[in-house]
Amino acid sequence: MIDLVIPEDLWNDDREGVIVTWLYQDGASVESGKVVVELMVEKAQMELSAPASGRLTILAAADAIVHRGEVIGRIG
Amino acid sequence: MAAPPNASSAGQSDRILTMARAGREAVFSAMRKDPKVFVIGEDVGKLGGIFGTAVGVQEEFGPSRAIDTPISETGFIGIACGAAMAGMRPLVELAYVDFFGVCFNQIYNFAAKTHYMSGGQYRMPLTMMIGVGGGYNNAAQHSQTLYGTFAHMPGIKIVVPSNAYDAKGLMHACIADDNLTLWMVHKATCGLGWLGAPLKTAMAAVPETDYSIPFGEARVWREGTDVTLVGLGLTVHHCLQAADLLATSGISAEVIDLRSLVPLDRETIFASVAKTGRLVVVDEDYSSFGVTGEIIASIAERDPRLWKAPPRRVAYPDVPVPFSRPLEDFCMPDAQKVVAAVKSIMVPH
Repeated sequence: MIDLVIPEDLWNDDREGVIVTWLYQDGASVESGKVVVELMVEKAQMELSAPASGRLTILAAADAIVHRGEVIGRIG
Repeated sequence: MAAPPNASSAGQSDRILTMARAGREAVFSAMRKDPKVFVIGEDVGKLGGIFGTAVGVQEEFGPSRAIDTPISETGFIGIACGAAMAGMRPLVELAYVDFFGVCFNQIYNFAAKTHYMSGGQYRMPLTMMIGVGGGYNNAAQHSQTLYGTFAHMPGIKIVVPSNAYDAKGLMHACIADDNLTLWMVHKATCGLGWLGAPLKTAMAAVPETDYSIPFGEARVWREGTDVTLVGLGLTVHHCLQAADLLATSGISAEVIDLRSLVPLDRETIFASVAKTGRLVVVDEDYSSFGVTGEIIASIAERDPRLWKAPPRRVAYPDVPVPFSRPLEDFCMPDAQKVVAAVKSIMVPH
């Protein structure tokens, strides 16, 4: 199991982010390096890629408020 | 989440994309395959387009193929027209359809007519990526759809995708076409976070491979026997929601998504009304002189015996889009208004 973490440097202050949408459903197979989730901080949209290949477990659903360093999913 | 019936024919995919991302995937693919394709317009380079259709294009292809322009619509559309006539395949981003008025001569006298006026000697392989629609309190100059205004002019092909699968396939069709095409996307369907949570029914499984959706082929999303609901872009989602609500009252609604406005798939609408005998057309453009009237007239003039009840239109009232949220909500088409229109023609006459 590898954690999908919001990197500490994805944005540079303590503002809250929000999950806009996951590009895969919970339990889907994902490939390392492919974008899996879109986030937004204020009006800036960002994305995270899968750190590994495997089955995706979503921990923070769409619309959830998230913070830097937070684990939002697992892959394995 | 929408699962287009024909998704499997283009290769299975587990990815569920927003429309912005799906359209962008087509742009990237076309630019990788053909050096003649480039993007130009307001905020298209560094920002990637206000509705996200060109995010990352400048990083990958450089500023010569992702050209930021001043707010000078006549200038950059004129540049794109000239480039297209010289053999390039420009993608023009103009953000809000409301501002086409600034450069309308370039579009309807020049881009739309040059192939005809030159006796076929010049082609105009130009695609415009345009955000349309209201519902987010952006007032009268940033909320229109203006579908009918463009559809009225010969020489322009117009697509209005309602979901991510169609957004990609129709973008490929537009880029491949040798004359002027408009890819019009309702802001509420494109799936950008700053416009609110993405509309789930506008997201769809999208294959990574390229595929093209032909112009002029509507899709029947849902079959029904009592009434035909016709929508495009965002109003398809109103129709689908209305069909669910109507089903609880025992009314079976067929839902048609136009996908292309020009050319218009009148055959699919006709076949549906021949079955149901009732038609409600749902459009966010102004009610008078527009899409709703054209569709109803097309069916009525072909066979007036079809009707079991008068056709109805659910469209925008003929007023500028109000800024106030309650007033705008009052004007916007929605599922409840579609249900009310259907019920008004289901009672025995």
